[in-house]
Amino acid sequence: MSIHPSFSQVTMRLSILASILVIAGLVVACVPTDTVKNHASAGVETQIDLTNQDSTYIGEKACLECHKNAGDHASMGVHVSAFRSNPQNARQREVCESCHGPGSKHAQETTNRSLIIGYTKGWGTPVPKQNAVCLTCHQGGQRINWARSPHDVNEVACSDCHNPMMQNSATGNLLRVSINETCYTCHPQQRAEFLKRSHMPLPEGKMSCNDCHNPHGSPTRPLLKTDTVNETCYECHAEKRGPFLWEHAPVRENCVNCHQAHGSNHDKLLVAPRPMLCQQCHDAGVGHPGNFYNNSQTAESALQVGGVQSQRVIGRACQNCHTQIHGSNHPSGARFQR
Amino acid sequence: MKSPWRKKTLTLCVSAALAQMTAGAARADSAVGVDTMLGNALNPYSLRTIPARDPEVLDAVQHQRTPSTKLIGWPVVVPTTTTTDSGWTYFGALELGGMWASGERAWYNLYKDLPTAGLYLNNFYFKARDMQPGKGYFVEGLGGALGYRDQYSGINVGRYNDWKVKLFYNEIPHTFTTNYRSLWDGVGSDYLTLKTLTPGGTLVQNPNGTPNQAASTDATRTNLLNAINAGEGGRDLELVRRKGGISLDKYLSNTWRFYGNYTQEKREGARPFGAVFGGGGGGGNIEIPESIDYDTHNILGALRYDDGLNNLNLQAQVSLFRNNIDTMTFENPIYALTNTVLTSPTGTAATAVTPGSMFTTGRYDLYPDNDYYNLRAEYGRSLPEWFRSRLTATISLSKMKQDDDLIAPTTNDMSGMFINGVSAYNNWNTTSALSKQSADAEIDTQLFDIGLTSRPLDKLDVNGKIRYYATDNKTDYQACNPLTGQWGRLINDGSGGAFVIPNATAGNNPLGTLPTAYDTTGCNLDAARALGLVPSAGNTNLTNIPYQYSKTNYELGGIYRLARGQSINGRIEREEYHRDYRERDETWENMVKVGYVNQAMDIGTLRASVEYGRRRGDSYDTDPYKQFYSISLGPEPTANLTNIASWIHNIGSFRKFDLADRDRLALDVRLDLITLHDLDLGISGQYRDMDYPDSDFGRNDHQKLGSATLDLNWQPSPKLGLYGYYTYQQSTMNQAGIQPNGCIIGNYYYFYSDGFVGTGTVPAAPARAGATVVNTVVVASNNWESQCGDNSATSPLWPDGRIWKTDTRDTNHAFGLGGRYDFGFARLELDYTYVKGISSIDYDYNSAALTAVPTAITAATWQLAGNGMPDMDYNQQALNFNLVVPLSKSVALRAIYRYEQGQMDDWHYAGVTDNPVPSVNTVTAGVPAAVANAVYLDGGTQDYHNNMIGLMVQVSF
Repeated sequence: MSIHPSFSQVTMRLSILASILVIAGLVVACVPTDTVKNHASAGVETQIDLTNQDSTYIGEKACLECHKNAGDHASMGVHVSAFRSNPQNARQREVCESCHGPGSKHAQETTNRSLIIGYTKGWGTPVPKQNAVCLTCHQGGQRINWARSPHDVNEVACSDCHNPMMQNSATGNLLRVSINETCYTCHPQQRAEFLKRSHMPLPEGKMSCNDCHNPHGSPTRPLLKTDTVNETCYECHAEKRGPFLWEHAPVRENCVNCHQAHGSNHDKLLVAPRPMLCQQCHDAGVGHPGNFYNNSQTAESALQVGGVQSQRVIGRACQNCHTQIHGSNHPSGARFQR
Repeated sequence: MKSPWRKKTLTLCVSAALAQMTAGAARADSAVGVDTMLGNALNPYSLRTIPARDPEVLDAVQHQRTPSTKLIGWPVVVPTTTTTDSGWTYFGALELGGMWASGERAWYNLYKDLPTAGLYLNNFYFKARDMQPGKGYFVEGLGGALGYRDQYSGINVGRYNDWKVKLFYNEIPHTFTTNYRSLWDGVGSDYLTLKTLTPGGTLVQNPNGTPNQAASTDATRTNLLNAINAGEGGRDLELVRRKGGISLDKYLSNTWRFYGNYTQEKREGARPFGAVFGGGGGGGNIEIPESIDYDTHNILGALRYDDGLNNLNLQAQVSLFRNNIDTMTFENPIYALTNTVLTSPTGTAATAVTPGSMFTTGRYDLYPDNDYYNLRAEYGRSLPEWFRSRLTATISLSKMKQDDDLIAPTTNDMSGMFINGVSAYNNWNTTSALSKQSADAEIDTQLFDIGLTSRPLDKLDVNGKIRYYATDNKTDYQACNPLTGQWGRLINDGSGGAFVIPNATAGNNPLGTLPTAYDTTGCNLDAARALGLVPSAGNTNLTNIPYQYSKTNYELGGIYRLARGQSINGRIEREEYHRDYRERDETWENMVKVGYVNQAMDIGTLRASVEYGRRRGDSYDTDPYKQFYSISLGPEPTANLTNIASWIHNIGSFRKFDLADRDRLALDVRLDLITLHDLDLGISGQYRDMDYPDSDFGRNDHQKLGSATLDLNWQPSPKLGLYGYYTYQQSTMNQAGIQPNGCIIGNYYYFYSDGFVGTGTVPAAPARAGATVVNTVVVASNNWESQCGDNSATSPLWPDGRIWKTDTRDTNHAFGLGGRYDFGFARLELDYTYVKGISSIDYDYNSAALTAVPTAITAATWQLAGNGMPDMDYNQQALNFNLVVPLSKSVALRAIYRYEQGQMDDWHYAGVTDNPVPSVNTVTAGVPAAVANAVYLDGGTQDYHNNMIGLMVQVSF
């Protein structure tokens, strides 16, 4: 069954336009340009001397005369290690000044904060300028969608999450000890959700926020690493990808119709307890979906006079019978019972 | 819990660790794939080693903060390294010792496998580098818990700025329940064999030889209870994920880079599952375990280009899911009550009873193998000369497909049984009974995304974006048996059926219409429809429904810099959905968002935003599925006594929440304050309000969520650091429904003053104690849609008296406190976490309207129902105590104490342990009547207390 009859003319045209633009982009990308990175001198190549255009490079040794301890720490990290042992270009050979900019004037006037690029609140280098420095090397790749991303719009600095000078984390040169702890510094509500009764295994050290989200930008609003919520979930729950003979519409469209992404008070990260959750869509003219389910129907109530057990209430509730709720491949599975 | 090879692994210790490591620490690439975290509960940060802090910090200035005001903190001391003659430097450490634990496992085991006793390698790491100019080679690795089911290890080998190979291995245990009382052997395999019970239950016959259903279910129930009580008691149902992978990152040139990886994951175990017999759940149900044996292979290759102006990412990904248990057969211990299948071609359900004991097994077609392919191209172009702009575009094309061999509807030969007069013998236990032999299911997706951001003025950024995503479902299947021509499905292994035949109520179809009339069309749907016969019901599935949708987003936004460090941002967005075969073809949401950022304040940083969204759509069709159901086979019925309810899909004013009109408000605020030079205070809040203004039934009214957090971080010195947080969350959700009544053409419906609705074939309503008739409605062939299609005070099918409403409220508290202190001779780290969640459900209903004949029993029922479900509440707390005593420069002792406690009440599992085969209790307290036919084997989550102590030796080199 084709989707094309359902496309509106507008969306079709937009798709074609987007295709043309991307194809054009691919062509452009393959054509050498004058600004291709090379091994030219740092003075020509470096575009980071944003605050002190006429300052000059003084070399790592000069920096370490005052910043030896910082150098000791930074030398354990990837940046300084790479710059010292196998620099890719002239700028990287400048080591400290590769990120902080040429230091000659700073060395002469150390308290003038406009003469060197700093990455702390106290130093005062504007965040867009800080980030621009990082992006001179780190543009593209996983950061190709940084511009206009929520973190960019909210002027989050690279150095709000990363600190290449310190080895706080096992990976990623992070501000805190892990990806999760770094994210929690601004997103504490997610920390609370991961502590709920049912949750993704972040507190247990088995997952990170970065498994689903790309904090550096994405074509999706929640910064997902794939095209959609569902394709993100399928990365770990590939069995639910199907497709199936018998599909469940809200399941196929968006897992978060029924599940909380981070954690929930309810079993299986559900947004509401069953059977009530199912009844938010189902109230058929025939049968049980619209029935009023209540406390007289638990296994405990069934021990008392008037108790009426219901398989729609006890245990897995609706899924006691509709077990294959994510879709069925059984020829008899239209109601997800096999 | 130990895995069988743990001892061997531990004996080999570090050498075994090195041999086992198949991956480095988490992948640094934030854009693709998962597996970004290696760690476990004792090492939630990959490595938890209680290190010393460097009093010299990084610079002369202490208490530095990030641009968003967070304290950077005191760095860990730089490790002491050793340099070899060849110029390599290295350092590392391992932590090995003994661990002991007491207490229950239960919920405690979720995602972790903490040791109960014995030798334990808690963690290790090493790093070696050749930092000589022109070299830049490195090898580094880490790991922990080797031999346990939450073990992890990884290794990176490479050359800085050149290439890197990463390998990893990680295990994640997932305990679903520790309180499952299995009746089967073979859990985890493709065949579950009953340990002691007789498959099919116990058949008790009447004197004339026909099955006595009530006596059979009663005898079976007794045997089930005996078997459950005499069984092994609660056991775990769990699965373990075991995953390893390798990746290569290689700079091909200054501008081109290659990235590729391969991962393989094995999932094995079992989880709670369920099986139902008969039709509509009335034939009995039992919790069975689902066996899990999955393999998933992922292969990804990517090229990345960056020349400073142009960025290009080209990526291809393949994911192959393989289920090693394609079908799972279980021996059925219950005596199934059947429907539709009869022992006589002309008998009725009352006279041709099918013995439930013949349904000795059930068979599931578990998740099929599936393949996923994705091609993705992303392009970014900086245009510094043109308003300092940047263009980004993405194309992503995916294909999800599976062509699993389909299985026969039942393994039972159905000997001696008939379905609507047609012999079922050997007609349903073969794949020849299917309209196709394999699924041939496929969904293709496409994403186009293009965005442009520009800075026309120094203070102003503007951006726009268009995003289009669509799914194309190419799956088709029709539920018709070519061997018999019957439309519909034999369900639940043959114990029930959902078939459609010509309507047998006199007057709907021509006299002499045979029940097999549809069958003669040879599974040709058009031919069946061409017969023009009124079907027996409107809700029988004829074909699958290939749901698909497209979604387009148009976005325009900007940032205006008010002053240094201050900006406002805004965005307007329109999101349009087109869905096929849903209640609404089109929905659209208009959104506006305004945000404010202030990083210029000396005292901190403020970020705040407000967003409003308004979703609407085209007309709401409560039954968009007609072409896929038997309602499409012929005209609507007109004859008196026709039960028309199955022609009515849903209440007219019911709205499914994902399609309903919705007004959405979102408020977010985050304030980071410099309270003292060494103390951070963070305050954050979120508020969500989603109003469903057009939803009378389903999720309705306002759905709200509020969250507030207070964070403290005090880092006065390298010796001392403390943190604390508290989060309060509350959410509410409302919904309403109607317990359906009935709608039969020609019937009178009598509306009583207490809300009850009676029915009959004469205008005069029977008397009802304590109530008077306030209205009478007759359903006719020309008015049933208006009479029964929607709710009203006088709707026969959806009378307002049968409305029920629920109010769900979730409340949560999360509290954490901890810190570090360096005594000089020892370093202490302490963490405490406490969480509490309360979920309450209150409901409103009219018990009189739902009671046909008030009795003492029904009064007791409504008393039990009360005004709401019992609160579901839980609390959990964990205390971690760590003390490291250095003995020398390279040896230290670490003492570990961990206390965990958890308590949970969930009405889903209330009474299950004591009453695993509950029933309808109309007799005497504590003595259920044997009417229901349901078996529950999962007792739910158990409360626990657990203490764990450990003594470790840390050796660094």
